[in-house]
Amino acid sequence: MTRYDLIVIGAGPAGLSAAAEAAGAGLRVAVFDENAKPGGQLFKQIHKFFGAKEHKAKIRGVKIGAELLAEAEKRGAEVFLNSPVAGLYKEREILVRRGEGVGHYKGDAIIVATGAQENMPAFAGWTLPGVMGAGAAQTLMHLHRVKPGKRVLMLGSGNVGLVVGFQLRQAGCELAAVLDAAPRIGGYGVHAAKLARTGVPFYLSHSIVRAWGTDKVTGVVAGEVDGGWNFIPGREKQFEVDTVCIAAGLAPATQLLKMAGCAMRAAGADWLPVCSAVGETSLPGVYAAGDVSGIEEASSAMIEGRLAGGAAARKLGFIGPDEYEERRQVLLAALASLREGMFAPQKRGQISAQTDEGIDLSQTLLRKGYLEEGEVGKYPGVKPAAGIHPVIECTQNIPCNPCRDACPQGCIKVTGGIAALPEYDDRAGCAGCGLCVAVCPGQAIFLLNEDAGDGLAEVTAPYEFLPLPQKGELGAALARSGEKLCPAEVVRVKLAPAFDRTALVTFRVPRDFAMRARFWQKEAAA
Amino acid sequence: MRLTNHPILGPAAPGREVVFFLDGVAATGLEGEPLAAALKAAGVAVHRYTKKHRRPRGLFCAVGRCTDCVMVVNGRPNVRVCVTPLEEGMRVATQYGAGEGVK
Ligand SMILES: Cc1cc2nc3c(=O)[nH]c(=O)nc-3n(C[C@H](O)[C@H](O)[C@H](O)COP(=O)(O)OP(=O)(O)OC[C@H]3O[C@@H](n4cnc5c(N)ncnc54)[C@H](O)[C@@H]3O)c2cc1C
Ligand code: SF4
Ligand code: SF4
Ligand code: FES
Repeated sequence: MTRYDLIVIGAGPAGLSAAAEAAGAGLRVAVFDENAKPGGQLFKQIHKFFGAKEHKAKIRGVKIGAELLAEAEKRGAEVFLNSPVAGLYKEREILVRRGEGVGHYKGDAIIVATGAQENMPAFAGWTLPGVMGAGAAQTLMHLHRVKPGKRVLMLGSGNVGLVVGFQLRQAGCELAAVLDAAPRIGGYGVHAAKLARTGVPFYLSHSIVRAWGTDKVTGVVAGEVDGGWNFIPGREKQFEVDTVCIAAGLAPATQLLKMAGCAMRAAGADWLPVCSAVGETSLPGVYAAGDVSGIEEASSAMIEGRLAGGAAARKLGFIGPDEYEERRQVLLAALASLREGMFAPQKRGQISAQTDEGIDLSQTLLRKGYLEEGEVGKYPGVKPAAGIHPVIECTQNIPCNPCRDACPQGCIKVTGGIAALPEYDDRAGCAGCGLCVAVCPGQAIFLLNEDAGDGLAEVTAPYEFLPLPQKGELGAALARSGEKLCPAEVVRVKLAPAFDRTALVTFRVPRDFAMRARFWQKEAAA
Repeated sequence: MRLTNHPILGPAAPGREVVFFLDGVAATGLEGEPLAAALKAAGVAVHRYTKKHRRPRGLFCAVGRCTDCVMVVNGRPNVRVCVTPLEEGMRVATQYGAGEGVK
């Protein structure tokens, strides 16, 4: 049996961060992951992340994963791939399946960072080929570079459903609709708005009655549900699709913790390990970090991993009490700042009517995925101004502030905690550089010049699709709802290295449409 | 169905095209990609039929967890093709039930 100071199970953001932290303190660390690629969920996440600088905001998930792996390995952690851990036993021993054989390892400390599994609701026809998890669709598109299907229906409007829905559009798939049995969109409004403006309809209080097809899915019958999630007769809709993606939530992958005998507690529908603030379970020296200890985000998983890694280093005497305490306080503060805002874990299940600033939350955003034209002006990021200026359509308290850090002119303020709504300071003088538009992970910032001459206005919007429009190309301007407004000519397409593959497309519309046009759509060839 | 270019990931790395056999018929895929990806790119949806009710199954989790995608590969049944790299000349067959009667 091989022995390590620390064994980490799972090479996602939590596990890699734990390994980096502990190896940095001098521990001999082994990380085991069942996948052929390290990074856990991160290697499928090609979108820019929320958060603040210390949480790696505005960086795409894939890149964060690569950075973490490099850090852990540089510090000497050994990462074993294709190595599912099949058992975790008292005395901190693990059983690893490797190839046809098995290996036994013992750790003086163990960190379980196994992440989460997708929930799979059963409906008639759910086993038909063409029905797949949202994670499978991501794996196909981003790791194997194959489209999951031509026309897809997404079940689930949490962040996973919204993000994967957008990624399907980026891969050139059609998205027939996003369905959710809940009466409100579960994920961030900005993620929903990104989809809605490309013309994707949302059906809340709807679920799948059945998927049909003989050898594969060819269509879906969806139905409206009442408050108790029962189908209301006569309220069915049909969708012709060849693929159904399920994003019905994640459940912590706690099998190993349960097997080892860690004390568990019920939290809603899930069972979570009972943990200290640094993730130590009821078994001394066994820690849980990341989604396995409660579904959150990669940003929080990374901090939880570092907390657990540091705690293991302290426990085994690799770092002194003062050094440990100082680091612990910094990490706990960073974690607390992420847990601010209306989507914070402690607020799960609660319904807020207003933002922390006391502004009514948009109900249309929660039901249809977009802001009503008449309500946009209520939010502090939207102010009329002469000349070029940003319009920040970020209207929910989410832990995010890279827009503020991006602006060289200091036009954007996020004050009083990172979940505060961004505010446009019209005294600062926007230079029209577009950095705020490009960094915003919610793609919620637009630039407006309401007086571009000839009664026209110029709207600049983020664009992450192919093919890129050409200067002079005529297309259509779409409203926040995806509704077609008017023809629109592209006057500029900017793609600077600092934009990290988010192009900025500037198009011209009649002035009356300046506060309505939010997406430029290529006209289908006749 | 292949994503040769992508707005964020950029152009796909060129792979080596190889021939494999699906139920005896020649098809092509990229060497080293999961067999399931090659099948998806070729428009194949059904991987197997269940034992009792003969219901079709295809790719579901794509990461080796659910065993929905198993097929008969080089004569061996119950191979999870989503985590099996494609090799030149591989013989892949739709699996019926537990793969009884496989030669
Ligand atoms: C579509 C989508 C979009 C997201 N967007 C964001 C975002 O914008 N910002 C953000 O902060 N977060 C985002 N997240 C959430 C984030 O990806 C997760 O919260 C995060 O990855 C959790 O990290 P983890 O290390 O706990 O688990 P994971 O990333 O799930 O990693 C766990 C690892 O453990 C391995 N494993 C599990 N069991 C075993 C075992 N028995 N033996 C060996 N290995 C095992 C798994 O294979 C996996 O590699 C998103 C998630 C999804 C699905
Ligand atoms: S366009 Fe540039 S100057 Fe104007 S608000 Fe955005 S980041 Fe600031
Ligand atoms: S506007 Fe600012 S706070 Fe809102 S999502 Fe964009 S970057 Fe984050
Ligand atoms: S699709 Fe789940 S194991 Fe292959």
